[in-house]
Amino acid sequence: MPPAIHPVDLLRVLRHQRLTPAIVFLTSRRACDEAIGSFEHRQLPIPPTRSTAITDVLDHMIAEYPSIAGHPLIPTVQQYGVAAHHAGHLPSWKIAVEELMRQGCLDAVFATTTLAAGVDFPARTVVMTQSSVRKNRNIMELTVNEIQQLAGRGGRRGKDYVGFVVVTPSPYIDLGPIANGLTNHPEPIDSQFVVSYPMVLNLLKAHSIDHIQPILEKSFAQFQLNQRADAYETKLDDVETQLETYGRRECADWIAQWQSFSLAKKRRSHHRRKTQHDPPEISAQLAFLTPGRTVELSKAHAIVLRQYRSRGQGAPMLTVMRSGGRIIEYPASAVTAVIDEVIDLTEARRFPWCTPQSLNHAIETLEQFPARLRRLPIRVDQDGADNPVLTETLKDEFPCPTCPSRPACQKDHPQALKLRQEEHRLTKTIHAMRTELWHRFQQHVEVLQKFGYLTPACQLTSEGDWARLIRINHSLLITELIRMGAFEGITASLLAGVLASIAHDDDRPASFPGRHPALTSTLGQVRKIAHSLSAYEEPPLLRWDVAAIADRWIAEPTLPWNELIRSTTMAEGDVYRLLARTLEYLSQVYGLKATHPGLAGVARDAMDLMRRDVLQELP
Amino acid sequence: MTNDALAKHLTGLPVRLLHRLAKNRVHRHFRMGKTRLIQSLLSLPPEQRSEIETTLTSFLPEPPRPSKPSKPDRAAKPNLQPDAPSRPAPPSRQHQVPTEAAISTQALLEGIGVPPPQPFKPDDWQREAINCLATNDVILSVPTGSGKTYVAIEAMRRAIEAERTVIYTSPLKALSNTKLTEFSQLFGADQVGILTGDRRDNPQAPILIMTTEILRNLLYDAASGEIDMRLDTLGLIILDESQFLADAERGVVWEETIIFAPAQSRLLLLSASIGNPEEVAAWIGSIRSTSCHLIQHRKRSVPLRAAYLDPSGKLAPFFRTRDIASGKDFALHPETKRLFANYEDRTLGPRYRR
Ligand SMILES: Nc1ncnc2c1ncn2[C@@H]1O[C@H](COP(=O)(O)OP(=O)(O)OP(=O)(O)O)[C@@H](O)[C@H]1O
Ligand SMILES: [Mg+2]
Repeated sequence: MPPAIHPVDLLRVLRHQRLTPAIVFLTSRRACDEAIGSFEHRQLPIPPTRSTAITDVLDHMIAEYPSIAGHPLIPTVQQYGVAAHHAGHLPSWKIAVEELMRQGCLDAVFATTTLAAGVDFPARTVVMTQSSVRKNRNIMELTVNEIQQLAGRGGRRGKDYVGFVVVTPSPYIDLGPIANGLTNHPEPIDSQFVVSYPMVLNLLKAHSIDHIQPILEKSFAQFQLNQRADAYETKLDDVETQLETYGRRECADWIAQWQSFSLAKKRRSHHRRKTQHDPPEISAQLAFLTPGRTVELSKAHAIVLRQYRSRGQGAPMLTVMRSGGRIIEYPASAVTAVIDEVIDLTEARRFPWCTPQSLNHAIETLEQFPARLRRLPIRVDQDGADNPVLTETLKDEFPCPTCPSRPACQKDHPQALKLRQEEHRLTKTIHAMRTELWHRFQQHVEVLQKFGYLTPACQLTSEGDWARLIRINHSLLITELIRMGAFEGITASLLAGVLASIAHDDDRPASFPGRHPALTSTLGQVRKIAHSLSAYEEPPLLRWDVAAIADRWIAEPTLPWNELIRSTTMAEGDVYRLLARTLEYLSQVYGLKATHPGLAGVARDAMDLMRRDVLQELP
Repeated sequence: MTNDALAKHLTGLPVRLLHRLAKNRVHRHFRMGKTRLIQSLLSLPPEQRSEIETTLTSFLPEPPRPSKPSKPDRAAKPNLQPDAPSRPAPPSRQHQVPTEAAISTQALLEGIGVPPPQPFKPDDWQREAINCLATNDVILSVPTGSGKTYVAIEAMRRAIEAERTVIYTSPLKALSNTKLTEFSQLFGADQVGILTGDRRDNPQAPILIMTTEILRNLLYDAASGEIDMRLDTLGLIILDESQFLADAERGVVWEETIIFAPAQSRLLLLSASIGNPEEVAAWIGSIRSTSCHLIQHRKRSVPLRAAYLDPSGKLAPFFRTRDIASGKDFALHPETKRLFANYEDRTLGPRYRR
């Protein structure tokens, strides 16, 4: 997005206030190019002496880097003393602009913020038009580090008494973040350590698996993890001290013991009650209302014959026998007291729920009962879990019911359990932090073993021994392609094309008209293999248009650079970077000359053919 | 909020704020124009939508402005009343009520010029760094443009005098090329070589320039004992722009390089200001045979001032104070606040845009 102020007006103000030379950071390459374009036909030329100085410097640069000659921006630079500098340009052009700036020939350079470190030249003034920047398909706010890195280019040591940051609005600006970035402390840096396949192979080439962990522990990642783990250790110590205050109990691990005891209690009572949620006083009684129990019901005694649940509500019900042998159904809640008397009853499956003899015996006993009998005190446990009968039945499995520590345990348990859980959580976190890197390393080892680059004893196989020399992104794909023979009989241009499409990770749209069947089918094959590896390695973009550029540059060794550029919509600087990266990938394949002489030879040819014209100007 | 009310609010916002609302909520929002942005924001699921409504209220600290699309004339011609900002100042982190008067633009621009040439005299921190390198690893974390290169050059000179070799790494090939020219002029072309992924120029020279990846690869080879270059005479490794340690993709290469750097070589890390240089120094000190000395300061050698340039061409001080304060207690200049508020008003919606 262009800034709200017209670039020509911007430069006019800067010149008027003696704020030149300036670096103007804009949001996109296009904005930079358009800014430069807008200077044409404006009445803002520089004095002829300065134009001459610019021409001199440029001539000097052209002698060293011929690709600068005939650059379309040269007339604008000479006339107006302004230039654009961004990744769409060739490195030689950027070097020329930097040199012009260093020599004080320019008033303004329009640059993008994409690579703050890539702009390595100072000026009196830095113009900022944005507080956010496009990064990996997202708009991100500039960090304090980035803002200071950009603004810091203002004010040249030895050439300026004072430097300036000039903020001017565009649709991507907010003053808050900029003010913040200019004044605040920069963000701390965090380790970005990742384990990669080449790292694993190269480490295992030099060291046995037993020595790897200490090496990983030397990383900044582990250093930072350790610091965090140390902080957790302090917390852990604190928790452990708190746990110690509970003193000694009968059993070694009373928290676990009580925990399983109360769990068992809960489970059984739950099992008994099924889905019921009886009020606590009822459920406390229920355990006693077994056949033969004497109870008090509507001010008279009765004997329980059976306990059951009502069909609809599932409420606890009793069948009782009252005086005179009347057999009646009551809800359990009708019981007003449980009596400390149980008579012998032989239960039966159907009415009257006991044998006739038992029934007669019950009738007799009931007749003989005095008016007042001892009531059984029933302890109502508010949690509903402490059922004396249950506790009784658990006595064989757990020492708790009869243990002298029982009251203390019961009281302390909830808090102690919380602490114990916190202790476990901390211990686990700390362990994870201390072993995380090693764990990730082992995961990579397993993959490499699966593919046969490492032996089960974690030594390099003969395949692993050459594969470790491929130390670039997508190394697994490249080594697998080689092993599967995908490159057998491949031509230099096709090899370059495939490697270019593996190397290129930018999805900025572009088009290139020439595509041929061999390239299409080879790339199709590569795509299939990349896809099959996607569980182990992120597949590359494998753009055919990108492959076609590299392919053509090599297939037509007399093709001039400008013609190659004309055949694609990709920017010149991007094509250069693409081919330079392809060269790097090719040289890694060439590095396999000891084990793969044929393929290495093809790579060598491709490199020789590729290094011409612009591509051999710079190392 | 009803759909209509929310739509109205959103239409009243600058695109920038809409993007901020859409961040992490609307896929590929940066590709959208204002209308589509608003549509996508309106069609978000309820919980995200209520988040947006909450955020919205923080954008509009005052009760919603009365300027409704039915009365566009005021916003459409803000230049007629340039002195009457129609909305509250942009949210600025103003932590203190400033007591001193805000400076004038004239005062801000005072003292521009070129100082007379002076004989070169190294700063104290530069000398300290060079001396420390005799025995220790050094991290230099100072602002951009302070003169880190001087330290690198002097350290190289000493290493060469002691018949040791030097490796200098930078994160970018472009920077490597610049340094090749610079060091060749200083030390002579035969003294400086460069290694890239596919090319070796003068690899036997005592000073070798390369990207950090290339050095990491050399160290891999050295570890497995199959190197075609002598690392035993390597006296100094200079890692320029080492704040790249925090780079998501490439940071690991800096870590590996530092871990595998030969014990007898001194490390010199050159870095722009970073937040936790102490931590980095402590780390390096913990894994290397000597301690790592940290040299840092945040004072710029050329003072920096900030200005705001309105699209109309008017220049105002950015802060109330002339120099950029460090720390959180800053205050934007009232004139800048006013100008920026006007700018935001003018850029409200496509229909109001000039
Ligand atoms: N002690 C000094 N006195 C005067 N000028 C100096 C001094 N030290 C360095 N300079 C000059 O300061 C300028 C900036 O130095 P240099 O490029 O080394 O900065 P830097 O710290 O590497 O910045 P960057 O973060 O941009 O890499 C150079 O022109 C250099 O000559
Ligand atoms: Mg530098």
